Amino acid sequence: MISRVLRTLAVATLVAAAAACSRSDASQASAPSIQLVPASGATPARIEVTGLSSAALDDLRDARLTPDQWPSLLRVAVAEDGPAMVGSYDIGDGSVRFTPAFRFDPGREYHVRFDPSVVAGALIPPVAARVGLPARVTGPTTVVERVYPTADLVPENLLRVYVEFSAPMGRKSGLEYVQLLDDRGKPIEGPFLPLDYEFWSPDHRRFTLFFDPGRVKDGILPNRQMGKPLHAGRSYTLVISREWKDGEGQPLKSEYRRVFRVGPARTKALDTATWDVTAPEAGGREPLVVSFREPLDHGLLMRALGVRLNDAAVVGDVRIEPGERRWVFTPRDPWRAATYHLLALSILEDVAGNQIGRAFEVDNFDTVDKSPDPQTVLIPFNVPAATGS
Amino acid sequence: MRSSYVKLSLLLVFVVCAALSTPSARAVAVTGQGPTFASIGPLTFGADGTLFAADNQNAAIFALDLGAQASGGAQGTKALDALDQKLAALLGTAAAEISITDLAVDPRTQNSYVSVMRGRGNDAAPALFRVDGAGKIDMLSLASMKFSKVELPNAPVANTTGRQNPRSNSITDLAFTDGRLWVAGLSNEEFSSKLRAIPYPFNTIDAGTSVEIYHGNHQAVETRSPVFAFVPYMVNGQPNLVAGYLCTPLVKFPISSLKPGEKVRGTTVAELGAGNRPLDMILYKKDGKDFLLMSNSSRGVMKIPAADIATAAPITTPVTTPTGGIPYETIASMQGVQQLDLLNAQNSIVLTSANGAMNLQVQPLP
Repeated sequence: MISRVLRTLAVATLVAAAAACSRSDASQASAPSIQLVPASGATPARIEVTGLSSAALDDLRDARLTPDQWPSLLRVAVAEDGPAMVGSYDIGDGSVRFTPAFRFDPGREYHVRFDPSVVAGALIPPVAARVGLPARVTGPTTVVERVYPTADLVPENLLRVYVEFSAPMGRKSGLEYVQLLDDRGKPIEGPFLPLDYEFWSPDHRRFTLFFDPGRVKDGILPNRQMGKPLHAGRSYTLVISREWKDGEGQPLKSEYRRVFRVGPARTKALDTATWDVTAPEAGGREPLVVSFREPLDHGLLMRALGVRLNDAAVVGDVRIEPGERRWVFTPRDPWRAATYHLLALSILEDVAGNQIGRAFEVDNFDTVDKSPDPQTVLIPFNVPAATGS
Repeated sequence: MRSSYVKLSLLLVFVVCAALSTPSARAVAVTGQGPTFASIGPLTFGADGTLFAADNQNAAIFALDLGAQASGGAQGTKALDALDQKLAALLGTAAAEISITDLAVDPRTQNSYVSVMRGRGNDAAPALFRVDGAGKIDMLSLASMKFSKVELPNAPVANTTGRQNPRSNSITDLAFTDGRLWVAGLSNEEFSSKLRAIPYPFNTIDAGTSVEIYHGNHQAVETRSPVFAFVPYMVNGQPNLVAGYLCTPLVKFPISSLKPGEKVRGTTVAELGAGNRPLDMILYKKDGKDFLLMSNSSRGVMKIPAADIATAAPITTPVTTPTGGIPYETIASMQGVQQLDLLNAQNSIVLTSANGAMNLQVQPLP
């Protein structure tokens, strides 16, 4: 196999030399040129070497280079002495082309060297160039759009905080960029669980922070060693550093700060009997509003509540009002005069992790809780006929 | 003794059932050529050389037939400094632009496979590399690879029609034993701790088993705390899963008890310290004794005598010291370990973080 390739290369060299001598074609010895051709439609960005004669291109084609041999002819790399990028090579009409397996980074310089001596001897001079796509972003643009819970008052045993960004962020954990300061400006040591990339949303715009539950409960070791992260009656500031990099590698446009007050711990299970369900009239598309006595978890509110009519899902849009104490459902089609049901999954929680019918703290060490998950709760409500109809 | 126990709050695994349906086994497998990953990692090998690769973004697991791409390399894995920079160069970018998501050794060739995400944001793309015994790095062609795929069941949703928040899923670890792929994972919104077995070849997927533990340092029964690393291990002749939890109980579960749809409480045999996340676990034999080697996010690499997992007294009462149960040794020579796997009978392969670079190192088993 190798000897066959060598034979092929030798023949190609001889052919090229003979052609050059016989034709006295000056263009044969002129330097080829290298360019980065930007993506166009479905065709990705690529490197093209042009200025080669059709005879030279035939020689290169006839050499039948293997994937391992191609980089010695056309090498594209991020550093002059670095390995060649992975990609595919081909010889088209008038050019030799390299298409990378992964896109070229905007703003990055790529080192390209075309050295046909491996095939055609020294008849065509090697050429090198540095090419690149223009940078996409000129400065920081991403900001923290909001942090849930949005209420100013949170319980001492707050469990979960969602941080939402205006644009996709990088893949790595953001914990090092988040600080919790007490009301004297002193950082709280290690308030959040040591989780990593696990808590990015698929679109990398929402990161979830978890307070360490081991520090929340009185008397247990992490609490005794490090103390509670939050104390009722005091204020804290959540600080998100602008050094947190977004998906373009840019820092945030600005630091984010949010002051919140801390109230007593919430330790009771959610009780759906305390919810206030305000039903609209039939015939219109006024929203159904469900009010809660305490703020609920924003993420779960978006999907753990729904509306049913005769066991079928009612299509509509959900909105959570600031403070996470009101769930607002606007149907796609007008309400009918009928008995509907609000359907709640038992996994719905308040901001301290208390679920429907199951508090965060329970005493069940001697028994395994066999309840399946999730359970559902159906809360009927009547949509009356429109007044005057 | 009875007292009030915290029913811990973390989250967990891919809760079962699609909206409100009763969880049951269902056909799920898809086969084809050219797997399409939204994300890649963790990885683990099956006994026949099948490489199982999780796609967290799509809550799916691929079984990859590496075919000829698994052969042709020099036996073993050669240590390579600055592996992240080398991989990034092959991908046409800088080391800061890639994330190495897992490392797994093919037991047949002892070549190492490294899963990578190239890019930072939601347009990051997956790549899979092989490092052989001569230090040659090859990127595997996914386009030509045969695969079968299983999708984990959807999260429960009551509001199926409106806008929902993007929910995060993450498969934290995989292990293959006795014809079944075991899966642990978590979500940022789910609240039930599950271990799930998927028979291979993929055909059906069941509801998984909810698992809960007693966390001595938290004085708590934890029903939702996630498993971050686990290995199959024979305990008194019975196959068990030995699992490391967040903050860091070590727990054993007899596989025979892990029945779909059930809830099972494991036996806690060690408390290995707070503020910590297990990263990887391997089992090995040295001087005739079994050992468990566990890497951690903030507590170094721990060597644990595995025979003690069978004999240790279960932890069922509060542990008021920083650690408890089976004693362990912290391996001082293994610093900054981000990825760990068993290379051969004498060595581990590790990816360590030092001086801003990720180095692939062959480390003797301690």
